[in-house]
Amino acid sequence: MDRDYHIGFSAMATPCEVRLETDDEGLAHRVAEAAEAEARRIEAKFSRYRSTSVVSQINRDGHCGLVVDEETANLLDCAAAFHLLSDGLFDVTSGVLRRVWKFDGSARVPDQEQVAAILPLVGWRKVKWDKPKLILPAGMELDFGGLAKEYAVDCVLSVVGRLAEAPALVNFGGDLAVTGPRHDGSPWTVAIESVDEPRRMAGLLELTAGALATSGDARRYLFKNGVRYCHILDPRTGWPVRDPPRSVTVAAATCIEAGLTATLAMLKGSEAEEFLKREEIKSWCIR
Amino acid sequence: MSVSFRESLARISVSLLAGALPAAGARAQSYGYGEPLRNDNFGPGFNYSQIDAALLVYQEGGGRVMAIEPTLDLSVHAADGRALTLSAAADAVSGATPNGAVPSDKPQNFVTPLKAAGSSTTVTSASGGSTVIQLPPTPGQAATAALGRQYTVAANTLPVDKGFHDHRAALGGGWTQPVGGITDMGFTLGYSRETDYQAITTSGHVDQTFNAGNTNVSLALNGEFDSSFPFGGIPAPLTPMNAQFKTPTSRNKTQAGFVLGLTEVMTRRWLLSLNYAFDNQSGYQSDPYRIISLVDPLNGEPVQSLYEGRPTKRTSQSIYWDNKIDWGPAVTDLSARYYTDSWGVRSSTVELDQRINLTPSIYIEPSVRWYDQKAASFFRYFLVQGQPMPAYASSDMRLGSFHALTYGAKFGLSLSKRSEIYLKAEYYHQGGAAHPAVAFGQLRQQDLFAGTNAAIAFIGYSWDFH
Repeated sequence: MDRDYHIGFSAMATPCEVRLETDDEGLAHRVAEAAEAEARRIEAKFSRYRSTSVVSQINRDGHCGLVVDEETANLLDCAAAFHLLSDGLFDVTSGVLRRVWKFDGSARVPDQEQVAAILPLVGWRKVKWDKPKLILPAGMELDFGGLAKEYAVDCVLSVVGRLAEAPALVNFGGDLAVTGPRHDGSPWTVAIESVDEPRRMAGLLELTAGALATSGDARRYLFKNGVRYCHILDPRTGWPVRDPPRSVTVAAATCIEAGLTATLAMLKGSEAEEFLKREEIKSWCIR
Repeated sequence: MSVSFRESLARISVSLLAGALPAAGARAQSYGYGEPLRNDNFGPGFNYSQIDAALLVYQEGGGRVMAIEPTLDLSVHAADGRALTLSAAADAVSGATPNGAVPSDKPQNFVTPLKAAGSSTTVTSASGGSTVIQLPPTPGQAATAALGRQYTVAANTLPVDKGFHDHRAALGGGWTQPVGGITDMGFTLGYSRETDYQAITTSGHVDQTFNAGNTNVSLALNGEFDSSFPFGGIPAPLTPMNAQFKTPTSRNKTQAGFVLGLTEVMTRRWLLSLNYAFDNQSGYQSDPYRIISLVDPLNGEPVQSLYEGRPTKRTSQSIYWDNKIDWGPAVTDLSARYYTDSWGVRSSTVELDQRINLTPSIYIEPSVRWYDQKAASFFRYFLVQGQPMPAYASSDMRLGSFHALTYGAKFGLSLSKRSEIYLKAEYYHQGGAAHPAVAFGQLRQQDLFAGTNAAIAFIGYSWDFH
């Protein structure tokens, strides 16, 4: 008789959940340990908040030139390729903009000069990436925030799938992926959180395969003179994107695809829905 | 654009995950396979240490050898795969062991050295039912009397030396770690010492995992340097048993060999291992205390006891095949081994082990092992007086033809998420030709099989900590 095991832990400043359909309690324990270990490994390696992470090392010593390991190189290749595919909207060097933009719900919006001063430090094309050697100009920083969580979901799902032949779902704060349908063929049900009323359900999704990712500004913004400035910044201008949806949820084969697409949709601002429809992407926008 | 956004993105995703997912799967494999019952964060990817303390008690039937061996193992693991291991063992062995002679229908006397030649001391009572005797000097030689220990064996019983006891202590350590692109490299060192024997062992190994964690290939080189310094000195092979102190007082043996291993994840539930081992030993390999009877050619009565002699070179090879199959609540371990060496010994072993998890914290593991051995070319039950003496001869049953069955069960209980206590009991039964075809005269009535039966009990406690 299968039981639905819920494994919960905290990683990447997000509540993480793994669901497993099995009758083997020992297996559920092993899956829990392995999933948490893998999530922590990725966090420890790519978090800019950890001084020992690869990202922190790159941000400290990148101007001297560094040789990175295979996994980091693959993520950089992905970032570079998606930068091109998104016409420069997706940019892992845009993190430095947070020095002038602090999305704390207040009205402290930076002025033109502040933004113009920091913009020269943004731009992937300024980074010399020649696998496996990376040279990051002084003052620039890399931030894998837009990639790491979705990548972790795909990696943890692979780890879980290797350990257990059981149906499983991995959900890191709304970025999730499943191995396949549940044992009886029924889909996994996932609630989409309402953007205006946290913890209230805006909708219910059913998933039998692939992954979902949600990009949204539900929690972080600045509000001044009746204008909401969302925390999605256009790296080409240094200013928030105009009129993005409140939340975009994308379904795709892998969590990394879903996440990158959702991020790109948000970056398209008012054209989000048009972009998603044109490219025939399975998605849900909330305005 | 000619290629759709989704297709381009799919390609980017595939590129990224093609590199990442096999590695993640491999990490899963190292978390998931063959893990112990305890469920806590100990294992690859974590820093943790483990202590294992155990006590083994071994008792042969018929009042023969008894051994007690406490052992302690400590291993310290770092999250990145480096590990240090330390182990210590001590044992005390005592009891009666066959001396190699055949039984006779008359009582037999055997004599061994007792005290250093030339020392004049009072006679102290000898243990094990033997007597101290003053031997007359050999005619024609200087009158250096030797004090010997003589023991008598009753008629129609297997001659055993009851005064056998020894203590041994052993220490070992090892280090292993990933190096560059190599999954694992390491070495071990060991030292073992007893009253009349010393062994220094060393090994090095290289291990590589590939094929997304499904395949592991390993090469281990091992070497050993042993010294034998028996009480009474090293006897010349096939010379009469006597109480004299012999020279040389010690002899050495060196051993060098390698093991090639392959481990493959065949399916999610089946792990297969294949090992090939090659070994070469050179030096003194006889048992300095063991004799072989020289019998009368007409009636088979033992006339004299001769020290045994084994060749100084021994080359061996073996193949070992192991399967671990995980059914979920039970794990089956089925293995087979075939061994052959230049002494003519050939053996086959088949073992079946079934671990059953009764509850998440209790398991039982019944096992059975079947063993069959064909004798070394120089194995003899006895030698016949008047016939040409072979270059080598030994009546040690461990080099003879026999079959053995071991059956038992292990029982394990998790005391907490980090500790486990286990008990194992086994019974070992050897069988062989009691009346081989070569027996004649009085030997026909004797049971010439000197094999043994033994009960083995084992209790251990294992504990993980950070």
